[in-house]
Amino acid sequence: MSLAILDGGTFYHHAAIHGRRYRALFDKIIYAPELTADALTDVTFLIVPDRINPNVLRANRDVLIQFAKAGHTLVVFGENRADTWLPGVTWAARPTNFWWWLDKTAHPPHRLLAPDHEFFQAVPFESTIWHFHGVLTPPPGARALIDVPADPEGRDSGGALLYEDRVTLPGRLLVSTLDPFYHHGSNFMPATTKFLDGFLPWAKRKAAPQTDRGGR
Amino acid sequence: MTKPGLALSFGYDDGSLRALANVKAELRDIYALPDIDLNDFSVLFVSMHSDQRFLAARAGQIEEYLVRGGVVVANGHHAYPYLPRMAGFHTIDNYKLSDITVLRLAAHPIWHGIDPHDLTFRRGVSGFYGRVWHDAPPDALVIHALGQPNLPLDFIYPVGRGHVLFHGGNDLWTFGGEDKQLAPRIMQWVTEGRNVQ
Repeated sequence: MSLAILDGGTFYHHAAIHGRRYRALFDKIIYAPELTADALTDVTFLIVPDRINPNVLRANRDVLIQFAKAGHTLVVFGENRADTWLPGVTWAARPTNFWWWLDKTAHPPHRLLAPDHEFFQAVPFESTIWHFHGVLTPPPGARALIDVPADPEGRDSGGALLYEDRVTLPGRLLVSTLDPFYHHGSNFMPATTKFLDGFLPWAKRKAAPQTDRGGR
Repeated sequence: MTKPGLALSFGYDDGSLRALANVKAELRDIYALPDIDLNDFSVLFVSMHSDQRFLAARAGQIEEYLVRGGVVVANGHHAYPYLPRMAGFHTIDNYKLSDITVLRLAAHPIWHGIDPHDLTFRRGVSGFYGRVWHDAPPDALVIHALGQPNLPLDFIYPVGRGHVLFHGGNDLWTFGGEDKQLAPRIMQWVTEGRNVQ
């Protein structure tokens, strides 16, 4: 019963995963090109950080899908082209606006749709707000947790930045377009560090046996 | 006949690789490296998004290419030992603008006519160009430093008959703006014999 994370071998994966801040939270670190079904024995919660090489993920799609089919939790972050290997994922690219916050009167487009969800007890909604790389259309039965409205320039009709899917596979999928590992591991964008400060301890708690914690 | 460059791709579309679209460079999957003869290429472009753990397992191939006269343009933070003669990097906790201001120490044709101020800031925001510093080899030509002159950010150093151009930040070839794009300038520097000084 443990928390595992894939490591893509980039400098920012190295800094975020092997760095002092979070290293002790991971029970197992799996170098993505070496992922096997055996490597996931005893793993109950698997994180696929942003920017793992999608060729590697596609080559291991059966391992990843089988993991979720076994009833476990699979969290997939952005820039992984999950739409090409994970069932139910529909993704539309949107050119990234890195600059929305330079206009002091501008409001981020992010909308919190599920304030009651336990995720936001661990990760304050404010810590999910930075630029984003495209939008997701949750499959039927899935629940969008954060979304954005239609692209002002008409390139998409809006969609989720984070959704929870408990119906497509027997396990739980959390799918996001956000890319916190890249930015935290690059010493850029403090919001992403705050995100991981909440998310990773939560993941650790959720990976542990749910005997006396009462959380779901 | 000038050899093309080689850029190693990492599986998804990104502005970094698009910025190389206008130079003579082939794009190949990074994991195909063992099957590639690097001597067919004038320069190896290594993006910050590269799997350095894998590259470190190929460090022998990379060094051999350099020794025989190749050029490697490497970006990001050197977290795994894939380049010869490189040491680690140094983060700056809670950096201020003065800590990450780009300082020019030497003139170089790749950055000719580009104000370091325009490297420090992108639309008024600092940090894209570099946020950490590396130990440069003692015989390196340090072009830019970060915040203080003794903290190298961009530098060129020899390995055998070849050279490493190291940039410790976001991919160098994405900078320079529309009229001073660095990607073609890097390519020109390589094809013109890379006069270092």
